[in-house]
Amino acid sequence: MSRAVAVVGVGQTHHNSKLPDVNVAEMVRIAVDKALADAGLSHEDIDAIVLGKAPDPLEGIMQPEQYLAGALGAHLKPIIRVHTAGSVGCTTALTAVTHVASGLFGRVLTVAFEKQSEGNAMWALSPNYAFTPPMVAGAGGFFAPYCRAYIKRSGSPSHIGAVVAANARDNAGRNEHAHLKDPMTVEDVLGSPMLWDPIRFLETCPSSDGAIAIVLANEELAKKGPRKPAWIKAGATFTEPMYVPGRDQVSPLAGRTCAKHVYAKAGITDPWKQIQVAEFYVPFSWYEPMWLENLGFCELNDGWKVVDRGDQKMGRHLPVNPSGGVLNTNPIGASGMLRFGEAALQVMGRAGEHQVPNVKNALGHAYGGGAQYFSIAILSSEL
Amino acid sequence: MSKLRNVAVVGFAQAPIVDAEPHRTAPEMLYPVVKQALASCGVDRKDIDYQCAGSSDYIDGRAFSFSQVLEVMGAWPPVQDSHVEMDAIFAAHLVWVKMQAEECDTAIVCGFGKCSEGSPTHVLNLQLDPFYHASLGLDHISTSALQASAYMSAKGVDDAALAEVTARNRNAGARNPDTQLRKATSAKELQATPWAVTPLREGYLPPIGETATCLVLAAEGKAEKLCDKPAWIHGVDHRIELQTIGARDLTRSASTKLAADKAFAMAGLNSGRDADVAELGSTTPAEELILRDALGLPSGLGGNGAKDGPAVNPSGSPLCGNPLMNTGLLRLAEGFRQLSGRAGERAVGGAKRAVVHASAGHCLQQNIVWVLGTERRWS
Repeated sequence: MSRAVAVVGVGQTHHNSKLPDVNVAEMVRIAVDKALADAGLSHEDIDAIVLGKAPDPLEGIMQPEQYLAGALGAHLKPIIRVHTAGSVGCTTALTAVTHVASGLFGRVLTVAFEKQSEGNAMWALSPNYAFTPPMVAGAGGFFAPYCRAYIKRSGSPSHIGAVVAANARDNAGRNEHAHLKDPMTVEDVLGSPMLWDPIRFLETCPSSDGAIAIVLANEELAKKGPRKPAWIKAGATFTEPMYVPGRDQVSPLAGRTCAKHVYAKAGITDPWKQIQVAEFYVPFSWYEPMWLENLGFCELNDGWKVVDRGDQKMGRHLPVNPSGGVLNTNPIGASGMLRFGEAALQVMGRAGEHQVPNVKNALGHAYGGGAQYFSIAILSSEL
Repeated sequence: MSKLRNVAVVGFAQAPIVDAEPHRTAPEMLYPVVKQALASCGVDRKDIDYQCAGSSDYIDGRAFSFSQVLEVMGAWPPVQDSHVEMDAIFAAHLVWVKMQAEECDTAIVCGFGKCSEGSPTHVLNLQLDPFYHASLGLDHISTSALQASAYMSAKGVDDAALAEVTARNRNAGARNPDTQLRKATSAKELQATPWAVTPLREGYLPPIGETATCLVLAAEGKAEKLCDKPAWIHGVDHRIELQTIGARDLTRSASTKLAADKAFAMAGLNSGRDADVAELGSTTPAEELILRDALGLPSGLGGNGAKDGPAVNPSGSPLCGNPLMNTGLLRLAEGFRQLSGRAGERAVGGAKRAVVHASAGHCLQQNIVWVLGTERRWS
């Protein structure tokens, strides 16, 4: 990045399995209005808009940036629409960061949403590809073998996934916007039905409706306030193909490469010591220890030990997903931007009841496709 | 305008546009095209910093359609990558922005879309407001007809004029070996074709086709090494309008006008007339007339379209082939081909500056305007 860029406003809807009183445009507009109010700005202050969401068939509107131009306040402005599978929310935010870093745009509004209640995600996420037998298994069925491979290779005890899920729910209870908040114990998780071995019902993300909007600004404009900005120290997206012989699906090379690239740009040599809070994209419980390893917070096959020690809980060394994460709120296209936005709120000191104390550096992360698309950002309280 | 980084189009390849390619999948169509584009610059894939594709899940009939082309774009070992759910010309714009941010120096942009595997008419209906527009059963032809009708009644343009504009494009397309309709025709012949949706005749509408495209972009320092005659980007801007068709003045394109004003200011052009070539993303003859007004080009009526001002649509325009998700990128490619001596029989002699336009959405809702030149813009 050639120029400093900061988050100056964040707004999100409440997330739920169905937001029945709003349509897609109204839902998106709520997030946009909240982000602009948070930044003390209005539509006239925005130079460009970057929209992200997961597959259009989830709501049945093709290229919805056309329909949403009015709701987004985009009339006579530039708008682009990003789609990089599950990673899209974080990639969309980083695309907006690039727009500001280019020097061409002073303030950019970035928005991500999904209204899963409008469609059927299991159907939309079970695509048919030529010469590939359809799995008709949705995302859970797709990722379960990767989780099984992780357990086998790391020697993890079988209860680790349940520990992750119960902790995430505990965290979600402190997040006013989270979808699932009912208290839940490790025993509750272990007692819930097995959906796709080793993933149980309570270790699975919900289908959510929700939207998030973020305002980004260049250094000069960010310093005008009214908020303390969250500075983007580094961000990158890396991708790898599905069918490479010998590809490591458990700890994909694209994720490791992306993390290494981002840490180098942010001047981070030891993420475990230099990052105080992380928001990972964890749609199924086992992905928390898997990403702890993939992102270099611990050695390969040691992620489950971090969870077993409880070091990823609130009040411990590295709180992971203090917002409750994807396991408790999953408007798919927005989920990655929620990780980026929650990381921003943490470094701004504005995460409310789920604030981690004294955060200097926070990591936001999302992944998508068959664990192929990776998007990582480091946000900091300091320029 | 402050000084920007000089970025150029340095290579391009495409599959010829066809009605349907029944024997190859989208990745199979794209693979040789990526190889050809890279070979045209003499560059290895490993020396490309960034890749970005433009495509649509709905056009391909499956979610995450873009993830199928990662292998053929060369994403192993892992690469920096993105994808826009838009015409690939917007991916090219994102790459240009990324180069301004100094996040990459070289990039490939790919477009693909297997339009023959679905029903574009039904798919493009789903692009409209689901409550007030889509439920009326409008498709891209009926909304284009509404716009054509509004323009004709406001400007006193008749059916013969639309036929004349179309014939000019079709006759240009006859010299383009990569386009879909390559048969010369006459205005009279076109005027004898039946109505599709009045006031548009079947002869005035392009076939929807399919292709695969790959464009190579590079920043100054690399661009000169990859291409003997790079097409330097002098200016670019894009804008969208409200979708609501009843709330817009369909007789003009406000977003094209604004994007052109910004792109021309960046490039130091007074109007589209200052260019030698103009390549427009018009999919009906009425759209061409509206875009000519917005870009400050000669009206295109009364026979002055060919001689006065820049050569307009030397490729034959989308009227000779409309492969969705690639249609826009092909306009940028035509600008590159014209300026870099790669336009074959249809070359506009001595062309030094090109204006390129592409559109998305119904009734020219979203528009992008580029200015390309044979010389660097900023020194």
